[in-house]
Amino acid sequence: MSRSIDIVQRGLKRRYRAERRFQRLGLAAIVVSLIFLALLFASIVHRGHGALFQTHIQLNVFFDPQILTETDLNAADYSRLVKEALYAMFPAVSGRNEKRNLSGLVSSGAAYQLRDMVLGNRAIIGTHQEIWVPADDDVDMIYKGALARDSGRLSKDQLAWVDQLHSQKKIEKQFNTAFFRSGDSREPELAGIWGAACGSFFTLLVTLALAFPLGVATAVYLEEFAPKNSWTDLIEVNINNLAAVPSIVFGLLGLAVFLNAFGLPRSAPLVGGLVLALMTLPTIIIASRAALQSVPPSIRDAALGVGASRMQMILHHVLPLALPGMLTGTIIGMARALGETAPLLMIGMVAFIVDIPHGFTDPAAVLPVQIYLWADSPERAFVERTAAATLVLLLFLIAMNGAAVVLRKKFERRW
Amino acid sequence: MLKMVSMYTVSTLLLFALSTVPVQADAARDYISIVGSSTVYPFATVVAEQFGKTTSFKTPKIESTGTGGGFKLFCGGVGVEYPDITDASRPIKKSEGDMCAQNGVKEIVEVKIGYDGIVVANAKKAPQLQLSRKDLFLALAKQVPDPAGGEKLVANPYKIWKDVNPALPATKIEVLGPPPTSGTRDAFVELVMEHGAESYPWIKALKKSDEKQFKIISQALREDGAYIEAGENDNLIVQKLEANPSAMGIFGFSYLDQNGEKIQGAKVDGVVPTFEAIANGTYPVSRPLFFYVKKAHVGKIPGLAEYVKAFASDKAWGPEGYLADKGLIPMPDAERQKMAEAAVQMKPIAIGQLK
Amino acid sequence: MLTPATIVIAILLLTAAAYRIGVRRSLSVAGGAQAIRVLHSRPPYYGVLTALWCALPALLVLALWQALAGGVITHLVKADLPPEMRALSPAQFSLVINDIKNIINGDVPPDRVSPAIQTAAEHYRRLQQISHLAAAAVVLSLAILGLALVRGRIHTGLRARNHVEQLVRWLLAACSTVAIFTTIGIVLSVLYEALRFFKAVPVLDFLFGLEWSPQMAIRADQVGSSGAFGAVPVLAGTVLISAIAMAVAVPIGLMAAIYMSEYAGKKFRAVAKPLMEILAGIPTVVYGFFAALVVAPFIRGIGQALGLDVSSESALAAGLVMGIMIIPFVSSLSDDMINAVPQSLRDGALGLGATRSETIKQVVLPAALPGIVGGVLLAVSRAIGETMIVVMAAGLTANMTLNPFKAVTTVTVQIVTLLVGDQEFDSPKTLAAFALGLLLFAITLGLNIIALKVVRKYKEQYE
Repeated sequence: MSRSIDIVQRGLKRRYRAERRFQRLGLAAIVVSLIFLALLFASIVHRGHGALFQTHIQLNVFFDPQILTETDLNAADYSRLVKEALYAMFPAVSGRNEKRNLSGLVSSGAAYQLRDMVLGNRAIIGTHQEIWVPADDDVDMIYKGALARDSGRLSKDQLAWVDQLHSQKKIEKQFNTAFFRSGDSREPELAGIWGAACGSFFTLLVTLALAFPLGVATAVYLEEFAPKNSWTDLIEVNINNLAAVPSIVFGLLGLAVFLNAFGLPRSAPLVGGLVLALMTLPTIIIASRAALQSVPPSIRDAALGVGASRMQMILHHVLPLALPGMLTGTIIGMARALGETAPLLMIGMVAFIVDIPHGFTDPAAVLPVQIYLWADSPERAFVERTAAATLVLLLFLIAMNGAAVVLRKKFERRW
Repeated sequence: MLKMVSMYTVSTLLLFALSTVPVQADAARDYISIVGSSTVYPFATVVAEQFGKTTSFKTPKIESTGTGGGFKLFCGGVGVEYPDITDASRPIKKSEGDMCAQNGVKEIVEVKIGYDGIVVANAKKAPQLQLSRKDLFLALAKQVPDPAGGEKLVANPYKIWKDVNPALPATKIEVLGPPPTSGTRDAFVELVMEHGAESYPWIKALKKSDEKQFKIISQALREDGAYIEAGENDNLIVQKLEANPSAMGIFGFSYLDQNGEKIQGAKVDGVVPTFEAIANGTYPVSRPLFFYVKKAHVGKIPGLAEYVKAFASDKAWGPEGYLADKGLIPMPDAERQKMAEAAVQMKPIAIGQLK
Repeated sequence: MLTPATIVIAILLLTAAAYRIGVRRSLSVAGGAQAIRVLHSRPPYYGVLTALWCALPALLVLALWQALAGGVITHLVKADLPPEMRALSPAQFSLVINDIKNIINGDVPPDRVSPAIQTAAEHYRRLQQISHLAAAAVVLSLAILGLALVRGRIHTGLRARNHVEQLVRWLLAACSTVAIFTTIGIVLSVLYEALRFFKAVPVLDFLFGLEWSPQMAIRADQVGSSGAFGAVPVLAGTVLISAIAMAVAVPIGLMAAIYMSEYAGKKFRAVAKPLMEILAGIPTVVYGFFAALVVAPFIRGIGQALGLDVSSESALAAGLVMGIMIIPFVSSLSDDMINAVPQSLRDGALGLGATRSETIKQVVLPAALPGIVGGVLLAVSRAIGETMIVVMAAGLTANMTLNPFKAVTTVTVQIVTLLVGDQEFDSPKTLAAFALGLLLFAITLGLNIIALKVVRKYKEQYE
């Protein structure tokens, strides 16, 4: 009698199980990816948090008027001031080698710091000043515990001096402002991320300014206006194909076209931005076309039905609805552009650049390049700085994505 | 929508309007442009930074392009868009000299800056190896003399170090080293493999009678997984060694110097790779590093002559200089003096006599 | 000071004014805001038309001016230089001009150069100012001319909307050609060097050779015969690693997309989606380190525990990490597409008694398929073109294998190592990079043509 309902009931159980399984599978997929993200973040934070602090040593510097002769303050021997201050702290030190070891405790950046002080305020010449100067990278690493004391990087004497400084409270970890304020350096304790961050900013501005409108315009044309013939098929295949071109090949293109043919300057964010824009373009176009395709035909019919022109229908009705999808493509494309190193290799942006770029044509590196270069540096202190630079890059990325996500939410709707 | 589009256009135009200001003066270059070897890069950058901070000139821009890519750019021609200096981990080749001359770069000044030791290292957790160059040859060459004897080659049969030399431990032969495109690889092949091959008299005899065959024997490295081409990132090799104690790695001395508590250099022919041993030549595996200056640019690009002079000063490349702190092995005193003089006088090399 | 930037800003201001003037004029010819019905188009279209005619010609001329002025000024300055400087070769002369420009920019103290250069610099500066002034005069009058011309022609019958739309349409069409030019540029920039490579290595050997070993390259002092440049193992490596990556990314990405769009609450989705998109933005260098130092030793450890022979640079490690990186390509794009499937379809299926998962599998996914396939294709493309992860984790040994525990190499790895190596640039070793690039380009082109055909066949449109 109730056989068929039994079958349905049994089937229902199975179907509900499948339903739960499917849902759990979906959640698991998200959880797995987020776990990976968390893992990556944790490992980066774990390695990079040390770079937020830098060991400093307090020196009592006498701005000796005999060393700082008034005629050329720029070229005076500031490192001697540092050395004298150190010798005064450890009067027992004698002999050339010992003295050399002693002055090795302090970063070579200390001299530049003193120079800037003197040039900023000449009145301090002739006075004694208590100044915190950055310690050498090896001292920094050992003081932070990132490097074992017996690693051989510091001699026994040097370790003893550091301990003595520690007991006198003349050595301490301070917030590493240099890291956020200065450009690249080969001395880890002086190296900073600001130059690369500026470079990334300028480069991505160019990329965004070109790739987004070009991508959307191309998608709109191909999807809405272009006649469907073999020519547009060719364009479509072409665009899909460009997405698969290795990024370094875009670098070759940039080298051949923008540098050699157009004569644009090497290592400039302008060229980097152009190359990355070409690289990002396919991603944005493909995403935008998919988004346009997914706008229901009823919207178009309705708009055309009340007498809108094609252009009005697209601009006023279709485009706003397709925008979230277009923004997704843009987010992913820009994120890739932000993290890309390989194409920049060919156009000279993988370079050691100390000065902070101020415009689109100043030589500049970008954040991933800085990470790449530091990752390849022999100095141990660059390990944590590499991780810290990655963190900065990720913050940059989150800020950029955040803006786009807010925009996307504004346009998103379901019907 | 219209509003958004126009807002976008206006802001984009404004942006590029502002960017055209520097474009106006685009071709003007007031800094030195340096390209070239990634091996010389860590040293050249230190000099550049010191130079930028202690003089009124701008800090030179240094690109790490590889030696070959560096020469390609350098020899592109004379003019602001071409680099002033290229760093090299090997001397310039004839084909490159010809390319330079063809493009109007007729006067090139060669400056040797010092030496870079090449070490074979493993993790500290593993025992330190005592290798001879013959051991390395037998372990890494694609074809080796038949272990059964006779003047005949067989595909390399050795799987563990003990097979190569009974004094060595019974660990798997697994060496991470530079790819064929690398200058480090060329140097390693020349200094270790060829030398190791020559320990067999009949192979040594080949060098005179059939040089091609000799090169095939001595230059081909195994491709069966015992020698792993590991790319140019030496830090990565160091970290891989730490993760895998049975592996050995081939890379520059400065990475060993900086990671002394993690890895150890194998003794090669009985000598431990230390700064002193490489400097006085008792450690056999080291190669010279160079940079090349475009003479036509001297006096035109601000600071070029001064940069070369700063590089060629004892403060930089001397035994007590700051480059030694970074791991560059200084030249012997007499050679250094001679080089410094040549660098300051900017004596060009004879391109026609390159090989 | 009058610079190109100020000129552009002036044009923009003029354009804004032009828009207002156009709108006003249209209203006044119509006879007031109440009577706009007599106009052919809505007033803003008249504004836009006026603005476009004001801005476009002016900007174009300015761009041209900027491109040409430098050369003309240099030529004029050269004419006034002492004869020995004029006799310099063009390359040498560019250095002199550099000197002059450095002085103008104040980057070099004037006392460092010869008096002749100093006067030339002065001359240059003066000419530059004249050029800027002239540019401003020409360009701004052109803008005003355009403005006045359109304003004069505004009458009730002017088909402003059609004009504007036609213009916009041309602009859109022009934008779509950028992709074509990029392709042409890429082909041209690798073709020349690739041809040089094929002069040294026969095309057939390259295409069908089963051994890749650039270590015995043809160099003056090296042996030629045994250099092996067979691209097949390199391509096989690319396929293997991409396949592993897709095996990770497609299921995870698709399931995540389905969960986000069909099951998750709004808040969950708002958080999870951007978080997952971060995965696509982490620099590939960082992934490379992660793959080489965390994942690869881990896999090796497991393999050894199971008694497998796992290389320390296994394809699996690189593929897995690459898969993680491209998850968002699949998940975010699919999510958008699933989200765009009309609710009425779901309601229909649910109303017939299907469970949610059945609705998704039978109705929603097929409807969203073209978009999802687009996302997956994009992910495949990204996997093929990815460079840094494989450079760090996959190694360089070209093994002809499908065993994921072995080390393999990919096209991109080879291109990078060949290009940034220390070898001289005209050896086949380096040129092989260009040939590989061209080959990869051709292969992906073929795959894309097939994909287009397939996608088109299954594409359906729902309402």
